[in-house]
Amino acid sequence: MTFAGVVTRIGIAAALTVSGISHAYLYIHGYRHIPTIGTSFLAQASVSFAIAALILVGGPAWLRWAGAMVAGGSLVAFALSRTVGLFGFSEQGWQPSPHAAVDVLVEVLAVGLWVVYLVERRRARG
Amino acid sequence: MTDAPHTMSRRQLIRHSAWFGAAVGLAVVGGEVISHIAGTAEAARIQGRPALRFAQVSDSHIGFSGKANPNVAGSFDQAIDRINSLGYVPDFVIHTGDLTHLSTPEQFDQAKQMMTGFRTPHVFTVPGEHDSIDDGGQKYRSAFGAGTRGDGWYSFDIAGVHVIALVNTLNLKKLGHLGVDQLEFIAKDVASLPSDTPIIVFSHIPLFAMYPDWGWGTDDATQALSYLRRFSSVTCLNGHVHQVFSKTEGNVTFYSATTTAYPLPHPGDGPAPKPVTLPAGKLHDALGIREVNYTRGQTALALKEQTLQ
Repeated sequence: MTFAGVVTRIGIAAALTVSGISHAYLYIHGYRHIPTIGTSFLAQASVSFAIAALILVGGPAWLRWAGAMVAGGSLVAFALSRTVGLFGFSEQGWQPSPHAAVDVLVEVLAVGLWVVYLVERRRARG
Repeated sequence: MTDAPHTMSRRQLIRHSAWFGAAVGLAVVGGEVISHIAGTAEAARIQGRPALRFAQVSDSHIGFSGKANPNVAGSFDQAIDRINSLGYVPDFVIHTGDLTHLSTPEQFDQAKQMMTGFRTPHVFTVPGEHDSIDDGGQKYRSAFGAGTRGDGWYSFDIAGVHVIALVNTLNLKKLGHLGVDQLEFIAKDVASLPSDTPIIVFSHIPLFAMYPDWGWGTDDATQALSYLRRFSSVTCLNGHVHQVFSKTEGNVTFYSATTTAYPLPHPGDGPAPKPVTLPAGKLHDALGIREVNYTRGQTALALKEQTLQ
C-alpha cells in the first residue's frame, strides 16, 4: 500500500471514530429521548466505530466507501436538521456546541480523504 | 468462477462476507455498549426516582365530531387511563389546551368531569383557541381559571423547578400572542430566580416559529424568551399542532405534543391544517400522551412519548 493509502486509511478511521464518539456522547447525554433522532444517533455511532475499526485493521476498499457514506449521510442529516427538519426535529446553527462543529469538520474530512483515496487509486492504476 | 475482471472468486466472496459480518457484528456490539453506558449513566443519575415526574396531554377537543375521530371522549378516556397506568403517580398532569372543541358550557363541564379521573395531586391547564372562541376565554376561566392571574396565566414552583403557564390564544390575529401584560408578568416572575433554576413553560400555541403560515408560532415569543435566556435550562411544552415535534435554540428546547383527538397534517402538507382521517386502525398510533422527568443536576428533561395504541 502507498503512503497516501495508509494516510487516508488512518485518517478516515480517525475521523469516523471522532464522529462516532461525538454522536455517542450526545446520545448518552439527552438525545436518546428524542424520537427517531435518538436511535439514529446510536446507529451512527455504532456503525462509525465498527467501520473505523475494520478500516484500521486493513479491511477491503468498500469499507472506505461505507465510511464515506456514513459521514456524508451524517452531513446531509445535519443540513436537514438546520433547514426543513428531520423526523420532526430541528436545531439551530452550531448548537449543540462544540459537537455540531466538530462533527461537520471530521465528516467533511472523512469524505475528503475518501475522495483523495479514490484519486490516488485511479492514478496508481494509471 | 472465472478469472475475468470484475468477477469475484469464491474465496473473495467468503472474505468480503466475513468483513461484512464483522462490520455488522461490531456495530451491534458497539450499539449495545453505548446503550448500556447510557442506561448506567441514567441509573446512576436517578438513584431512586427523578425529582419531578409529570404527564402532558393536549388537544382533547371534547365535543368534536367528525370522521377523523368519531369518539374524542373515548380516546381522551384512554389517555387518562394510560396516565393512570404509568406505574407511579405523576406529580401533576398538564393539559396544554383545546380541552373543548367549541367552548360550550357543556363541553367545559364534560372536560372537567373527565379530568377528575386523573390519579394525580394536581391538574393544570392552559387554554387553546378552541377554548376561547366567542368570549375571550371567560367560560374557560370560570371552569379552570381558579388561582390564575390576568387572562389565565400563572406560575408555580415544584421540586426546585419553576413552571410558567402562558396564555397565547387570546387576541389572535394569525399567530399566537402573549401581550404586554403577560410579558410584564414573565419578566417580573423570573426576575428574582437564580440562573440555575430549571424553567418549564407551558403554552398552547408553540413559542417557536414551527410553521407561521398556519399560525403555528407566537408573534411576541422572542420578547418572552429574552427574559429566559440567562437560565441554563428552559423547556417549552406546547400543543396546538397535534404532532410531536422538537427544536432547540441555545438553552431553550421546544417540544410540541401530539393530541388525544385527531391528527393534523405535517407543516405545509396541504393548504390548511384540517383534521386528517387516517385508515382504519391507524388513528390511535397518532394519538398519545407524554411523560416528562426532571432529575436534579440535569439540564435536559427526559421526555417519553406514548401512543394510545
